[in-house]
Amino acid sequence: MEKVERFSSRWALLLAALGMAIGAGNIWRFPRLAGQYGGAFLIPWIIFLFLWSIPLLMVEFSLGRKTRKGVIGTFSGVMGPRYAWMGGFVALCTMAIMFYYSVVTGWALRYFLVAITGKLSVMDHGRAWQQFITSNQPIFFHLVALLIGSFIIYRGISQGLEKANRILLPTLIFLLIVGIFRALTLPNAAVGLDYFFNIRTEHLLDYKVWLEGLSQSAWSTGAGWGLILTYSVYMREKEDIVLNSFITGFGNNSASLLAGLAIIPTLFSLMPTLEAAEEALRVGNDGLSFIVIPQLFNQLPGSAFFSSVFFLGLSLAALSSLIAMLELSTRIVMDFGFSRKKALPWVAGVTALLGLPSAVSYKVFQNQDWVWGLGLILSGSFFTFMVIRFGVLKFRKEFINVVKGDLTAGKWFDVVVKYLIPIEALTLIVWWLYRSMEWNPQGWYNPLQTDSLGTCIFQWVLAIGLLLLLNGMIVKKLHRKRA
Amino acid sequence: MQLTSIITMIIILLTVWGGLFYFIGKAYLREKSE
Repeated sequence: MEKVERFSSRWALLLAALGMAIGAGNIWRFPRLAGQYGGAFLIPWIIFLFLWSIPLLMVEFSLGRKTRKGVIGTFSGVMGPRYAWMGGFVALCTMAIMFYYSVVTGWALRYFLVAITGKLSVMDHGRAWQQFITSNQPIFFHLVALLIGSFIIYRGISQGLEKANRILLPTLIFLLIVGIFRALTLPNAAVGLDYFFNIRTEHLLDYKVWLEGLSQSAWSTGAGWGLILTYSVYMREKEDIVLNSFITGFGNNSASLLAGLAIIPTLFSLMPTLEAAEEALRVGNDGLSFIVIPQLFNQLPGSAFFSSVFFLGLSLAALSSLIAMLELSTRIVMDFGFSRKKALPWVAGVTALLGLPSAVSYKVFQNQDWVWGLGLILSGSFFTFMVIRFGVLKFRKEFINVVKGDLTAGKWFDVVVKYLIPIEALTLIVWWLYRSMEWNPQGWYNPLQTDSLGTCIFQWVLAIGLLLLLNGMIVKKLHRKRA
Repeated sequence: MQLTSIITMIIILLTVWGGLFYFIGKAYLREKSE
């Protein structure tokens, strides 16, 4: 029988949880939105930390500790076998993200390697980016990123995850601090800081800014993805759920602020005009990271060094989240009775294969990012549905406030989970789908359109339909393993 | 940099980073007492 794996300490668990939460989104998405909307964006972003992320983190931490199963086993165990498909959807959503996230990690690794050789400073970045993503190189780097992540997960919790996160996270924080020192010592850095923290009334009263704040909080902390649930399968029995959730949530937001302080002043200092800086913030996540930022670093003395620092930071942030997704998938296979050593090669093989379309085609990558990124909001609402069905008060007493002397979740948790999160989830899904109709006024229903409403609904329905069809078989295999 | 931006920056950084260090401190004390 395989030895029960556990994190060696609370700090090891927290480092892993923070590594999971702090990903590419903190570095390439948060500064983009914070630069666009300034202090008015930061207010909802902090508020929704309490009204979405932290309560869902508490739900996930407590579920993993109680059930000691991955997402499918947990949904089946807590809600009953008929609902295993819901866990299946959460798993599928995060795994679909993992397939292209490995590609993104590969992009960052490749740019880091080019940066340390000094070749990044002589490139025409727009053209170089286009040439790169249409070449075969993303396939190679996707496989390299996957190989590194798989090696870490193959070694298990204490030898793999713990050791990797002990290096990844502190290095990332150090690199961000180096970036901040450079950014804040540039001429006109204060202009960027002003954009970052200035609360403009028109933005504060704009509902879009509030929904962007909620979206960022939902996506960035990893709450509702099933990743924290997976890590907490390995947490020690005596752990403080509420305290760990607050540290994970605040830690994620702290890292986002570090990234913002490194990137926004650099952008506003080195762009020729304010309009050009504002325009650069609207080019999209990868456009900002792989085209605009290398162009800006070119203007600095020691550009190779600062580009290397940036892309190493991006690579480490992405890798620490990729390994969490690999662990989620491996845990699920292990729940069906396989050992880690047998489960991981399967997970890595499937990821290598299903990541290929995103590595080959940028449109497929964009499509998957759109469909499953929004799918995460549905995943979060499935967790909430589970708690509401179980009884919010009962859940709080039997799952969260269990160990005497720990911080406890109060009645606020009941209100947020029972009323606010379902409303937030519904609002977000309707808003993003409505926005996609604005992006594609002619072909919004077309399932073959990259970011249409049609493609989203089509892929969700297909996934849920398949999972419902296979529900009986999944449950039978889970129970056969238990027997 | 405008005064309001400086005040907002201080409040945001104190809230987020202060919150993080407060909870880490609490966790540290709990670990120490066990």
